[in-house]
Amino acid sequence: MIEFKNVCAAYDGEVPILKDVSFTINDGDFVAFVGTNGAGKSTTMRLCNGLLKPTSGQVLIDGVPTTELRVSELARRVGFLFQNPDRQICCETVRDELLFSFKAQGNAGPEAEERVDQIIETFGFDPAAEPFLLNRGTRQLLALASIIVTAPPVVILDEPTTGLDFRECEKVMRIVKALHEQGTTVIMVCHDMEVVADYAQRVIVMTGGKAIADGPTFEVLRNPQVLAAADLIPPQVVDIALRLQQAGAAPASVTSANTLTEMASAIGAYCAKGGAC
Amino acid sequence: MNGFLEYVPGNSFLHRMNPVAKLLVSFIIVITCFVTKSFIVLAAILVLDAVLAATCGLTKQALGLAKAVAIFSLLLAVLALLFTPEGDVLVELPWGFIGTESVLNAIRIVLRLVACAVPLFLTFYVTKLTDMANAMVKILHLPYKYAFTFTSTVHFIPVFMNDMSGIMEAQMARGVEFDGGLAKRISLMIPLCVPLLVSSVRKTNSAAIAAEVRGFNLRSRTSGYKEYPFGATDFIAFAVGVLLVIVGIFVPL
Repeated sequence: MIEFKNVCAAYDGEVPILKDVSFTINDGDFVAFVGTNGAGKSTTMRLCNGLLKPTSGQVLIDGVPTTELRVSELARRVGFLFQNPDRQICCETVRDELLFSFKAQGNAGPEAEERVDQIIETFGFDPAAEPFLLNRGTRQLLALASIIVTAPPVVILDEPTTGLDFRECEKVMRIVKALHEQGTTVIMVCHDMEVVADYAQRVIVMTGGKAIADGPTFEVLRNPQVLAAADLIPPQVVDIALRLQQAGAAPASVTSANTLTEMASAIGAYCAKGGAC
Repeated sequence: MNGFLEYVPGNSFLHRMNPVAKLLVSFIIVITCFVTKSFIVLAAILVLDAVLAATCGLTKQALGLAKAVAIFSLLLAVLALLFTPEGDVLVELPWGFIGTESVLNAIRIVLRLVACAVPLFLTFYVTKLTDMANAMVKILHLPYKYAFTFTSTVHFIPVFMNDMSGIMEAQMARGVEFDGGLAKRISLMIPLCVPLLVSSVRKTNSAAIAAEVRGFNLRSRTSGYKEYPFGATDFIAFAVGVLLVIVGIFVPL
């Protein structure tokens, strides 16, 4: 469990970034942080794994303040995927890269080798490939794999789909979803509201260093005031549903749809009943 | 918050000086530091450094730099102490001795390096890199390509430092511990040079392509519109610099 209690944070003790932020992320949650650039999302993530310490308030990981834990200790509990995979990759082969995570945590051994083989098979990597020669999407996948290979109970993803094409994005998010289904807590920073709508169960909206909304994904994404305050736009289906609702142009079954499937079936049912299509 | 060697805006006389004059005077101070054997002159240059840093509000940066250079120069000073046996014998060593002159030379190394580093770095803190490059092209008739290479190199230093810091953070988040002894830290940092090198090559390549597609090769020497005339302050600073060299050469200790 990760708890933020009235957390304020600043870089170099000078520029305040987070202002009195409080929330709790329970084990097994899939939370997305949304907001414009500079809203404080990445800072919040850096506080979660101790890379940044709060200037006031407390960040607790399983009840222990991050100020009492070393980043290397936290690495066993909280995996962190950075936006730029090239900052994480440092070994000569894909296999070495995956093993490096175990070595860094002092857990190298036969079990680690087995786990690496398993991950290589799951991701379909060539173990002898040179990481820096892989394409952007595969490097991002490798960076993700090198985090989840040690099976941390919490995974933080800082804009995991940035710079990826649709297929690569789908592949990354499918793996993240599977990880969540296996019980991993997933915390994600994402600008793509479609990805947020498709995968996250809970959304925390940040603006100006404050968390202004926190709730189930569609409860937050269907709140125009919150989205406007954070300069965000809802996913397309939600946007259409809200516009139809505002215009009174469709029945509740259509305007309450959150996904493309829900909206298609609601429109289909409405038309089948003889509604104006 | 400004990064390493990043321009700090201001209106001090150092800010207003001609970029080339600043660079020349800095080099004159460097030459003085290396030609003089006088502790008085070296101390005077250190005082001058402190005054210059204070006038442009960069005391904090100058102190930080002086500390870093002092630590590095201490290593050199120790080597000089152990391996340049000169003067009256103070301590016998298996391979020679530490003499009175060895001690003075070691102290001189630290003072010299600190005294000469500060004005050079101050020059970068109080001069926009574009002004520096343009002035070198206009006044020193340096080919623009070289001036651009110079400014790009300086410009990339904070970028690479930021990259290195990001890479270290990413590895710390994977469980790598960078604290501990110097040898351990170096052994942990060596593998990180690979991602730094890769990102540096990619960035440099991108910058070269970006410059090319923006017509870099079309620029001629005369295309700059801003003039960089020398003022009275520049001549006074230059005179002070020359005086310093003369005093540095002729004052014995």
